[in-house]
Amino acid sequence: MKPFDFYAPSTVEETLALLDQYQNSVALIAGGTDLTLELNERKASPAVVIDLKPVRELDYIRVENGRFRIGSMTTHASLAGNEMIRQHVRLLHDATRQVGSPQIRNLGTIGGNIAQSSVAGDGLAACVALNADVTLRSVRGERTMNINDFLTGEGVQKRNSLAADELLTEISFPVPDPKHTATAFYKLAKRKSLAISVIAGCLVVTVDDDGICTAASMRAGALGRYPMRFEGAEAYLVGKKLTYNTMLETLPMMHDQVLEANRSRPWSVFYKKEGVQGVFKKLFADVLGQLGLEEVQA
Amino acid sequence: MNKITVHCTVNHKPVVVETEPNKRLLDLLREDLGLTSVKEGCSEGECGACTVIFNGDPVTSCCMLAGQAEGADIITLEGISVDGKPDLVQQAYMESGAVQCGFCIPGMILVTEALLAKNPNPTREEAKQALSGNLCRCTGYTKIVDAVLLAAEKMRGEASR
Ligand SMILES: Cc1cc2nc3c(=O)[nH]c(=O)nc-3n(C[C@H](O)[C@H](O)[C@H](O)COP(=O)(O)OP(=O)(O)OC[C@H]3O[C@@H](n4cnc5c(N)ncnc54)[C@H](O)[C@@H]3O)c2cc1C
Ligand code: FES
Ligand code: FES
Repeated sequence: MKPFDFYAPSTVEETLALLDQYQNSVALIAGGTDLTLELNERKASPAVVIDLKPVRELDYIRVENGRFRIGSMTTHASLAGNEMIRQHVRLLHDATRQVGSPQIRNLGTIGGNIAQSSVAGDGLAACVALNADVTLRSVRGERTMNINDFLTGEGVQKRNSLAADELLTEISFPVPDPKHTATAFYKLAKRKSLAISVIAGCLVVTVDDDGICTAASMRAGALGRYPMRFEGAEAYLVGKKLTYNTMLETLPMMHDQVLEANRSRPWSVFYKKEGVQGVFKKLFADVLGQLGLEEVQA
Repeated sequence: MNKITVHCTVNHKPVVVETEPNKRLLDLLREDLGLTSVKEGCSEGECGACTVIFNGDPVTSCCMLAGQAEGADIITLEGISVDGKPDLVQQAYMESGAVQCGFCIPGMILVTEALLAKNPNPTREEAKQALSGNLCRCTGYTKIVDAVLLAAEKMRGEASR
């Protein structure tokens, strides 16, 4: 590890002041499950490291005005263990409870997962499928943006919108109405524990009282730089009665989209274009069961 | 680079240690404090050999910086034994024949301690889930899981006495 100075502020205010002062060469450390390894392997060599662990005000899960508000320092273990999240946002529950290992979930945070913006970020894929907003703060002020815009932004590290002096403080999204909306996550990986996602399938569907689909969000992590959006499949479902058979009709579209997107990487295409269909079959069965519409064995 | 001073509780004793910030918690424990039961296996969070109990929860100490231990309550294998004698979990590991080369065992035992502190009566599946962040290249895990369940039984017996 290259030498650096270490600061451990205890409030957001102090953190922002330190970020402002050292923005030329600074790294924030949350759980450290990505950053410590990068420092140790000298892939990162900031002059200053700021620890977010003592900033307790960033660790919360709240419901306010019909929205879930999650502080960036909330660990995967806290999310997976939260009863409100389990009941209302199965997608985020199932994504966070499968991250890494128990030890990694005790350290790793949702904010770190999103800020890292890794291809295989499971919390990230879940928040993208939920169409979440993220809030960034600096001494210059606060901005809240959609997570899709956050990902494509030209920030300091070229991986998202975060500027050198900015702190990700909050992730928020509407509380899904359990009668009409179901969310699901399915991780395809090479083993059960400590596995990087090969495909992280995410599904959010909303139906009206007659079981007609009014909105669908179909995403999958680890298929491209950012969680892939199956727009054609989403559009196909909206306006139709939500049944397993209707949902199966979207599989060829997903197959083709994965094939097209990964054409330059032929080694991964052959199983991922098949894999994505298996993953979504599981997700379809899951949401239909949750909504009490159909019991399917997928 | 300015040195840092870390104040924490290690194995039930208050510790103040001046060290370099560009160290992992693993290095602080092994090098500065001489707690060599904390093993370095993979150095990347995958094997669990460097596990310590941090404020009650198992974490991999290779994934944290030394400075992040400020104010924390840390338990390593050295803090488990009672008056220099193996505690019930350690006894259960010995009696179950769960130890071969031993390299993974400090991490396994700490995970077991943390599990049983929260869940005194785990199922076999819960025990496996708790151990899912710890790799063993020798035993094949069956006897380690046996040891966790035996330890739970011993601890419940102790509690009801
Ligand atoms: C063994 C192992 C297994 C893993 N398995 C998985 C897995 O299954 N799924 C998965 O998605 N990930 C996995 N990961 C990756 C990692 O654990 C997660 O991405 C985790 O959520 C990162 O969070 P952290 O708090 O540890 O981030 P850190 O390492 O502390 O930070 C990561 C990056 O984000 C920045 N950052 C952190 N917080 C903020 C903030 N509030 N504002 C601005 N920038 C910030 C840091 O500066 C750094 O660049 C694994 C890692 C390991 C070591
Ligand atoms: S050395 Fe830390 S998990 Fe392997
Ligand atoms: S006993 Fe040798 S690694 Fe587990």
